[in-house]
Amino acid sequence: MTFNHNMLRIFFFCACTHVVVFGDVVSDLLDKPDSLRSPSFPVFKPNVDALSRVDLLTTLTEFSDVSQYCKELLDLFGNQYVAYVNCLVPAARPVKVCQNCFASFVNLNITYTNISSDEKGPGGEVCRDTLLRSDRLMLVFLLFSNLGGIWDKSHCKNCILSDGSSLTNDTLYFLAIFNQTYNCFDQYQQGNHSELCKNCKSTYRDLSNLYSDMEKNDTMCIDIEDAMNATRRHWSKTFNCSFPREENVPIVAVSSFMLFLPIIFYLSSFLHSEQKKRKLIQPKRAPQYTSLMNIQDKLS
Amino acid sequence: MANITKKVSWSSRADESASSASTGVGEGTPLLNGSEGPRFSRQHAGEGSVFQIGRLTTVELEEKMTADEDLIRAQTREIPHNEKLLSLKYEGLDYDNIENQLFLEEERRMSHMGFQCLEISRWVVCGLIGFLTGLIACFIDIAVENLAGLKYEVIKRNIENFTETGGLSISLILWGGFNAAVVMMGSILVAFFEPIAGGSGIPQIKCYLNGVKIPRVVRLKTLIVKVVGVICSVVGGLAVGKEGPMIHSGAVVAAGVSQGRSTSLKKDFKMFEYFRRDTEKRDFVSAGAAAGVSAAFGAPVGGVLFSLEEGASFWNQMLTWRIFFASMVSTFTLNFFLSVYNKKTGDLSNPGLINFGRFESESVEYYFYEIPLFIAMGALGGLLGALFNVLNYWLTIFRIRYVHRPCLQVMEAMLVAAVTATVSFTMIYFSNDCQPLAPENNEEYPLQLFCSDGEYNAMATAFFNTPERSVRSLFHNQPGSYNPLTLGLFTLTYFFLACWTYGLAVSAGVFIPSLLIGAAWGRLCGILLASFSSNSSLWADPGKYALIGAAAQLGGIVRMTLSLTVIMVEATGNVTYGLPIMLVLMTAKIVGDYFIEGLYDIHIKLQSVPFLHWEAPATSHWLTAREVMSSPVTCLNRIENVGTIVDTLSNTSTNHNGFPVVAHTLGNDEPGKLCGLILRSQLIVLLKHKVFVELARSRLTHRKLQLKDFRDAYPRFPPIQSIHVSQDERECMMDLTEFMNPTPYTVPQDTSLPRVFKLFRALGLRHLVVVDNENRVVGLVTRKDLARYHMGKHGLEELQLAQT
Repeated sequence: MTFNHNMLRIFFFCACTHVVVFGDVVSDLLDKPDSLRSPSFPVFKPNVDALSRVDLLTTLTEFSDVSQYCKELLDLFGNQYVAYVNCLVPAARPVKVCQNCFASFVNLNITYTNISSDEKGPGGEVCRDTLLRSDRLMLVFLLFSNLGGIWDKSHCKNCILSDGSSLTNDTLYFLAIFNQTYNCFDQYQQGNHSELCKNCKSTYRDLSNLYSDMEKNDTMCIDIEDAMNATRRHWSKTFNCSFPREENVPIVAVSSFMLFLPIIFYLSSFLHSEQKKRKLIQPKRAPQYTSLMNIQDKLS
Repeated sequence: MANITKKVSWSSRADESASSASTGVGEGTPLLNGSEGPRFSRQHAGEGSVFQIGRLTTVELEEKMTADEDLIRAQTREIPHNEKLLSLKYEGLDYDNIENQLFLEEERRMSHMGFQCLEISRWVVCGLIGFLTGLIACFIDIAVENLAGLKYEVIKRNIENFTETGGLSISLILWGGFNAAVVMMGSILVAFFEPIAGGSGIPQIKCYLNGVKIPRVVRLKTLIVKVVGVICSVVGGLAVGKEGPMIHSGAVVAAGVSQGRSTSLKKDFKMFEYFRRDTEKRDFVSAGAAAGVSAAFGAPVGGVLFSLEEGASFWNQMLTWRIFFASMVSTFTLNFFLSVYNKKTGDLSNPGLINFGRFESESVEYYFYEIPLFIAMGALGGLLGALFNVLNYWLTIFRIRYVHRPCLQVMEAMLVAAVTATVSFTMIYFSNDCQPLAPENNEEYPLQLFCSDGEYNAMATAFFNTPERSVRSLFHNQPGSYNPLTLGLFTLTYFFLACWTYGLAVSAGVFIPSLLIGAAWGRLCGILLASFSSNSSLWADPGKYALIGAAAQLGGIVRMTLSLTVIMVEATGNVTYGLPIMLVLMTAKIVGDYFIEGLYDIHIKLQSVPFLHWEAPATSHWLTAREVMSSPVTCLNRIENVGTIVDTLSNTSTNHNGFPVVAHTLGNDEPGKLCGLILRSQLIVLLKHKVFVELARSRLTHRKLQLKDFRDAYPRFPPIQSIHVSQDERECMMDLTEFMNPTPYTVPQDTSLPRVFKLFRALGLRHLVVVDNENRVVGLVTRKDLARYHMGKHGLEELQLAQT
């Protein structure tokens, strides 16, 4: 179909101008999928073997545009990158990415800032241009933005001090109460759960309130959220400390009373309220045709 | 709605037996006065008295009846209210220009500049209409948001307390009591002060734009009651929305602004005096209705189309453009003030009162194979809508017949409010559907109740919220935020609650409840589809089905087509859904119309309004003007005795508004030749200013009456009783030549009903004189004469005239 169509177009355009025909043909060829194109137009593809690859590498090192200084920065970046990732993976569940790994991220961030700054190095070169912007892939940037995304998404910034030296006081306090709660859980876990519900209620309440305060102030990171979620799950699901539904009778009684009221209302207004009547008015009509009865006569 | 007609209570219990006997007759035979057969057959026999034209009144006719016929008539006189009545209290609007000599003089005096000023002031008025309507919408929105927020905050805290300590039944009573108290305020306003402000107001505006003058519908008092009432009913937790009343509010604003004065406040700004007549006012009211829609839904184009579809029969390109201007200004104003309120001044991307939220690009996708599903959902929407309308129809009839006293209406509204709260509470209490709190579904008032910590009750997101927020969460919450069981129960209860609520003596709209019901079952459909199919990613988004369901349900209830499609498209900000929404609305309308009419049409019928549809009823071509017209006609002479005029006007049995003016006739039986038409309102102004021939002769300096004098009295012409005419003045004569419309539209006697109808509908006539071939008046066709005929189940039926 397409081919015929193109032929037709080519033919048609031939009548007009050569330039247009040429352009049209080329663009049509380019538009065609590979499967159509490859048999008739073989793509230029040199035979690559191991030897030539090595050659390529050596030439690259010799004529590399990356200076020694930048190379070192890149190495440092790599090491810190590995360290951060190594820290992240074990901290995935339960989530402790902020409290465990904030230090390595801070280091990584510093290095990346160095790389991406426009200050000139000792040799007068700017590593930002050579490392970050030289190719289409921009691997260093890509790598860092991945981890930066994780950092942003986990809101870790809310849990560490602005200079990156340690966790905030709020976070530490929360963690303390969190530990306290779990100590309490441990203490009563063996026996009856109702015992646990009663005795740990105050610490759990404290933790809950602290959490909702932090939620309001927006000073939370993923660690705290996850810890709280897990605690709540334990509290409600494992230990079954949620409120029981035990007021069925009064609720049903009150609602059925309420539902009964409209029935009384409508019945009483049906029985006691006088029905509204309408007074009919005789329209003035030309006498002989007034009612439809006559119309029906006329029809039949 | 139902409460318009409640001031009078007719019968005492004593004669109930008599009237109940006649009930069967009245309802069984839709034909007019079936029991009067004998009289007519007798008159048939007497060939001689074919026409009895002249100044015969009904009273005179009645005198000719024999005693036993009188008895029969007495029995059929009163019947229970039903849909096959036309009320006498509704009059037509004068859309047709009265080209009398005063008008011609004024036009001659007016310069070219003057006409241009008029055109400019039309634009100014439209801008003002849009601005004020937007402001009102903004006020309602903010008031509802804050008050409802306060209410839910208090109740939420209360419920949280009692969940822990026990005693939730107290929360239930608190909730119910609070709702009932707030609704009581709104309902008292409506029932005791301004019954016309009840309901959504769309039927009333529809009638107004159709050319029916509904008493008190566009007054300032109505507007205030409407606005306060709608805030009360939404805050009171009824199953209602605040969008319908916006349309009414916009119309009132338009009618007020365009007149440049307020009769209620007795303040005249001496502006826009030219617009003080029905023709201009009606154009502005259609602009106001459009501005109301546009503010309510953030849909300017939808607003214009709404006015086009529901109302105005008189459109030209400039008017449409002006109306569009008013709509845009209204949306813009609302946007701007909401942005100030939300502390994002200058951000004009806030949509209307109801914010459907934007549909993200992935969830917008739909495929070819889903179209049949959408159509099936449209059919379901039509069915459910028809069911809703049938139930509401019976309920409204019951209300008109039995719940017509204001105190009963207030009680009913309170009961509904309390029961709504009770049902909601019970549903929430017994629901086991717990969903985790997540940042993306930002519930305003999550209720935990018996759910685990960190989870909330999913039923509460639907019930413990203002209806429009519920709509939004149904559209946009993540797949899996609702159990199918929750949605099913919610649909069921809300359906009956909404049906029960519409028609109460509160001011409230039906748009949002319909959308909510539809969104709930639509979402249910989406969830079920996803669970049936193996490849769940195909049907991933239940929000899409919620939207389609909402459109189907709304279309099934109100049966709007073009404007609703555009409103939905604009409100969701998504043209991609245009095709499915259109298909769904089409199907819903077709299916629904098979069973019963749209909700607004039902209510118009039940109010006995002489509403003219687009076309005359089918199979009515054999009816001629002679059969349709009222006859004999009360005519006036060109130079008429003042006493005669006063007597004619004060005759309580005939409240005619238009009187053909005839050349002087000698005998009473001979019909006069038509030379003009004069309106009751004009006669009253003339009497008030004592424009008598004798006085004009004696007083040379007598100021000539101008068109301005008629405009000043518009629109509340005093009743004839308030005008004092002394015995001497009764002997004077009045020359009507200058004031009457010298070229009224006339038709010959044999014109068919559809022809008459077309003239009436297209020209917006109020009176159409029927003349014989010598231009003698033989009858008069008015709106009520045409609206009497309608297609019933058994062919053409005739409605009865009744006093309400």
